[in-house]
Amino acid sequence: MKLAYYPGCVSHSTGKEMDASTRAVCAALGIKLVELEDWNCCGATHVSNELVATGLAARNMAQTDLEIMTSCSICYSNLRAAAQRLEESETLEKVNAVLDRKYSGSKIRHALDVILEALAEDDERIAVPLKGLLVAPYYGCLLTRPTGLYSAEFPSILEKLIKRLKAEPVEFRLKTFCCGGPIFMPQEKAAEDIAFKILSEAKKAGAQVIVTVCPLCHLMLDAKQKVLEQKHGEPIGIPVLYVTQLAGIALGLGPEELGLDMNCVSPMAMVERVRAKETMLEQKS
Amino acid sequence: MARDEKFKQEVLRLAGTEVRTCIQCGTCSASCPTASLMDPSIRRLIKLCLEGKREEALHNETLWLCTSCLLCTVRCPRGIRPKAVVSALKDIAERAGLQSKDASYEQFFLKQIKDFGRIAELSLTAEFLLVFPQGAVQSMQMGLELLPRGKIDLKIEKINGRDEVKRIVEELGKK
Repeated sequence: MKLAYYPGCVSHSTGKEMDASTRAVCAALGIKLVELEDWNCCGATHVSNELVATGLAARNMAQTDLEIMTSCSICYSNLRAAAQRLEESETLEKVNAVLDRKYSGSKIRHALDVILEALAEDDERIAVPLKGLLVAPYYGCLLTRPTGLYSAEFPSILEKLIKRLKAEPVEFRLKTFCCGGPIFMPQEKAAEDIAFKILSEAKKAGAQVIVTVCPLCHLMLDAKQKVLEQKHGEPIGIPVLYVTQLAGIALGLGPEELGLDMNCVSPMAMVERVRAKETMLEQKS
Repeated sequence: MARDEKFKQEVLRLAGTEVRTCIQCGTCSASCPTASLMDPSIRRLIKLCLEGKREEALHNETLWLCTSCLLCTVRCPRGIRPKAVVSALKDIAERAGLQSKDASYEQFFLKQIKDFGRIAELSLTAEFLLVFPQGAVQSMQMGLELLPRGKIDLKIEKINGRDEVKRIVEELGKK
């Protein structure tokens, strides 16, 4: 399978491990990624003018005829919402008037959905089944909203993938609750309070790892975790992995390929545990 | 205060005429993750727009507490997009040149897109903190986590299609 790949701005900074693990997992699954030519920022959640946001997305989508895959839920949501608005001829006309390459339709996919599709039930490429690993499926907002392929509030695709990797999804009440990320720059306190609520809830649910599909969720739950623990006097200590990292571990890919050393809360002890378990089972059989 | 009909029409144009059908049920406020900090609430904000109360609708923290989570939008029983109302108000505030800490962040963000085509997180943060240093402690704490892991990129990437992106921002922004 060949897909156009839209890495998004954070893939070159705070989300480097998202980018690395996306490329590694797709290579392992035989999915060829062609990076979108000269891609631009999607506007994230900070472009208030809807037509401008649509134009920014349209320029990206017009660069290829292939289906476009991204690992970032914000980019995913923006591109999908724009594609929907561009179905109106008036919007399409206004946008195409300023574009060099004209937009004429596009299909947007999230890496999560691409990976799930590529993995068969009991896929033999799963070298390290994540048996017994308790995973909190954290969707955040934008994978499912405003118009996703999944239920806006009760999605289950992440649980499906977690099970396919042989891990166990925990019942996670706040799985589609916002992480507060989009306002953390000007409204730090409000954002941090929300993020802590999610971490605390994941801990109560018994999660050994939280899995995310968005770099901003990841930043809030991983990079801020230590500060939030100190502030609230409550230890959390739960590694936060991108869904591509979790899939990569199960596929037996190495920590460097998956950028596991870039996670702020180290997942290495957890990775060693699941690997040791697998080796033990292999020796037994 | 006098009813500003022009303002109301502008909100409806940007956020959709269905905003007019709001029944003030409060589902949006009940769904909002930052509702407890908002004054006016998102429900009331929509009422202010429909009453043409421009000043009250534009000058408040509510606009900047919206996380864009879209829960209000998927739950509204009238098919209204309350988040689009927030965006419309921000857009109107920006065009009117209203200044605030939060508005500046959005302006810096858009300026980076216009100048480079992409966001360089470090320079965006630096630019913002120079004007509003109150957030410096949090940003430093975050920086200390990210820097040793190689996740702070010093260089600014510029795309080739900068003229095209600039055209998107400027020309479509006028419409």
